[in-house]
Amino acid sequence: MTAATGQSVEHGHPSRGGAPRPRVAVVKLASCDGCQLTILDLEDRLLELTEHFDIVDFPEASSARNNGPYDVLFVEGSVSTPDHVRRIGELRKMTRVLVTIGACATSGGIQALRNWADHDAYRAAVYPTPEFVESLARSTAIAEHVPVDFELRGCPISPDQLVELLTALVTGRRPQLRDEAVCMECKRQGVVCVMSAGGIPCLGQVTQTGCGAICPRMGRGCYGCFGPREQANAAGLARYLGTSGERSREDVGQLFAGFTAYAEPFRSTITDLGGTRGARRAGGGGRTGGGPGPSSLGPTSFTTGGDDDGRH
Amino acid sequence: MLSSELARPDRTTTHGRWFLDRTRLDALIVALRADGRTVIGPTVSDGAIVYEEIRSAAELPAGVGDEQTPGRYRMTSRDDDRVFGYVVGPTSWKRWVFPPMIELNSGKRVGHRVEFTPARSTPERLAFIGVRGCELAALGVQDKVLDAGQFRDADYRARRRSVFIVAVQCTTAASTCFCTSMGTGPEVERGFDIALTELDGGFLLEVGSPDGAALVDGPLATSLRPASPVDVYTAAADVAATRARIGDPLPTAGLHDRLLAQLDHPRWAQVAERCITCGNCTLACPTCFCTSVTQKTDLEGHTATSERFWDSCFSPGFARVAGGSFRSRPRDRYRQWLTHKFGTWWDQFGTSGCVGCGRCITWCPVGIDVREELVAIAPPVSLTPEPQRVEPVAASFDDFVVAQVVATRQETIDTVTLTLSGADPAFSKGNLGQFAMVGLPGFPPLPISISRFTVDGIELTIRGAGPATKAMCALKIGDQLGLRGPLGNNWPLDRAVGRDLVIVAGGIGLAPLRPVIHALAADRRRYGDVRLYYGARTPADILYSEELARWHSRAGIEVHQTVDRAGPEWEGRVGVVTQLFDTASWEGANAVAFVCGPERMMQATSNTLAGRGVTPSRIFVTLERHMECGIGLCGHCQMGKYFVCRDGPVFSLAQLGDTFSREGI
Repeated sequence: MTAATGQSVEHGHPSRGGAPRPRVAVVKLASCDGCQLTILDLEDRLLELTEHFDIVDFPEASSARNNGPYDVLFVEGSVSTPDHVRRIGELRKMTRVLVTIGACATSGGIQALRNWADHDAYRAAVYPTPEFVESLARSTAIAEHVPVDFELRGCPISPDQLVELLTALVTGRRPQLRDEAVCMECKRQGVVCVMSAGGIPCLGQVTQTGCGAICPRMGRGCYGCFGPREQANAAGLARYLGTSGERSREDVGQLFAGFTAYAEPFRSTITDLGGTRGARRAGGGGRTGGGPGPSSLGPTSFTTGGDDDGRH
Repeated sequence: MLSSELARPDRTTTHGRWFLDRTRLDALIVALRADGRTVIGPTVSDGAIVYEEIRSAAELPAGVGDEQTPGRYRMTSRDDDRVFGYVVGPTSWKRWVFPPMIELNSGKRVGHRVEFTPARSTPERLAFIGVRGCELAALGVQDKVLDAGQFRDADYRARRRSVFIVAVQCTTAASTCFCTSMGTGPEVERGFDIALTELDGGFLLEVGSPDGAALVDGPLATSLRPASPVDVYTAAADVAATRARIGDPLPTAGLHDRLLAQLDHPRWAQVAERCITCGNCTLACPTCFCTSVTQKTDLEGHTATSERFWDSCFSPGFARVAGGSFRSRPRDRYRQWLTHKFGTWWDQFGTSGCVGCGRCITWCPVGIDVREELVAIAPPVSLTPEPQRVEPVAASFDDFVVAQVVATRQETIDTVTLTLSGADPAFSKGNLGQFAMVGLPGFPPLPISISRFTVDGIELTIRGAGPATKAMCALKIGDQLGLRGPLGNNWPLDRAVGRDLVIVAGGIGLAPLRPVIHALAADRRRYGDVRLYYGARTPADILYSEELARWHSRAGIEVHQTVDRAGPEWEGRVGVVTQLFDTASWEGANAVAFVCGPERMMQATSNTLAGRGVTPSRIFVTLERHMECGIGLCGHCQMGKYFVCRDGPVFSLAQLGDTFSREGI
């Protein structure tokens, strides 16, 4: 978790009962909206939350717009276009507690796989008129651009963690978002280790918990959608996975090249093992990640307007 | 089927032995369930034999075995229908007596008042089927940790006391097992209600408690017949065979002290490169008891519940306070775990924290084997027995034994190595660094270090400096000489096991160190980096030059040489020996040093070594003094409180204190 400042929110605006309720909003940058859907999937619990929070802007749920300021702002999606860079800067200024939600916002998302490839070649391959597509060469996490107060990891986020965070914010305590390996959850639940007993490569050891070990519970390996946990020894795991002789270096690197590929130390592990398979196929290869910070992210041409503001 | 008459056990004993036919095993489960117990036992689930609630013997893993190596577990099929033909799986019984999560209490805030209500509940009555020796021991460890001190875990106690235990003697073993080393198995001897040993047609059943006896006398009675001597013998033989198969994979003598003496060992950092700090080992461990408590509140913040759940010292947050974590590096956390489990657990609870079940090895996703780490970090003393004091021969003023020169080698212009044979066997059994008093008629006996031990004799490397040594150097093959010895103490090579070793020799000082190099080259992997620094007056004065090259190229020993004065042929270093490691990059905190040469060279070397962090208790020098008897009777070799011949010639700097560098002692 980044910058767990433990701050609470002031109650600024009156609720129906007259008690002031914190103003909450949800916005998105480059993302699939799945995390917003998770908020909607809270159903009854969401109704209960509205007793305590004034949800002033939530495009996935309502066409009502409100431009801040916000007590709590949930940001979904990665910074992928020059416009995102501008917007996230503005949003940060009008927000007291900024919470990034999901793999895109916290790591750059699946779209960050392009960060290892030749951006122009990719764009030309995908779009018929690439000159009209304005995007950055790299998709990056919000925290690479502005300070973030809390992160909710996952693809999508865990509804329980979302409720826990809101509950903690409203009661002024530290949210219980544990930073430990998925393995801990597997062991507590009595899930048989898919790696030791099944020979299935699993990123659970280096991945932050919060998902409830859903993949190992279903007999498959964790693919790291909650991103690296603190001090994740990705290099050590990669070395081990590479020693069995069953996998090439590239295969091992590819295991880390998922929804949170661009989060360190997954990022440097992929780079050390030769980049992503897609980038190699596309013949990009020129860049091997590790890459420039926000300052060197440069605009290319026009905006597409398609995936940046969430208004459908 | 047997009549109840026949099967009626002798009520006077609770230690009777019975035979339970395989087809009647279900009677045991039925009886336990009828007693109101939830029966937990082995069953196949998700590719492993796990412990779960079972309702009949049909759920047991008949014909299933397992194969376990570091980081790897696979079920196998057996060619029989045994139900306990596996070892131990991923589950441990602590899941039931010390569950992964329990509710502790709920709290309320009403105005200014707070209320806490404990969540204590009456646990269900349990029966465990298939508890192995190591697992019984683990329950015993948990009893000591959680239910024996001043403060006790009431929840654990209530659950633990409700359990009826059906133990199983192990008749199979995995490569990861080391119960034999930890003294916990494969036999089960106490702590059970009933113990089974699986035989071809059924089970040898032993009673271990009044509850067990009640079961045998009551509901199980009609399913049992008295065990035959063959049943008893076969069971004992099978368990003994298991013990033999496991061997003694982790020598534990002195492990507590050995381990705690190695807090700075470089291996901690090396294993941390491999360790993912995922915590699997701790949660798979049947004795690890660390937990954390978390609070859940409602949105109003008025009511909260506290839950306690398994946690691990491997998680970075486990030792965190506001200012950071006390064990911030992975190596700190690995060290914490290993030293606790095998070391400080003894201090806290009077028992080892490890029972040798091997779960931490099998279920380490990257296959780290604690046994391997322990042997590397805290090498077993049993591998390096205290040198046996050899009883010297002719250890008197007036006697010698005779040996014959069988080979001579001119090492340098003035130095000869004599190979002696036919001497008393005591000599070839001598220790590294010992010397012999060597006598030729007409000359005073002289102390000469043994420079090699051979199967039937020794070698002596002698520099012809005076009349006696010149006479010895002039000996030819077939000549004889007189010996007393072997005498004196020895280089403590066992102190260097698992550490780096620095050997510094000047001139003829390489001779007493040569057996040390032979010995460590023969078992090189037990030592860390080994470096030999050797200085001679000129290139022509270098001893054993062929061997030096071989040690460097083949024995894994870094050999560095220097000379005081070089000729035109010399391409190596020139200067005093300490200059050789002035610029080296190694640190001495983990090193042991053996130094032999002129006293001034040894003083300078010791200072340099101390400057590199080698502590005085690990710097050993060998002293030269005038000796006539070699047995502490003539008085010549006194040095402070020591006779160098009897108490030395090898001393640590810590022993010598400031007498070492003092003139005129």
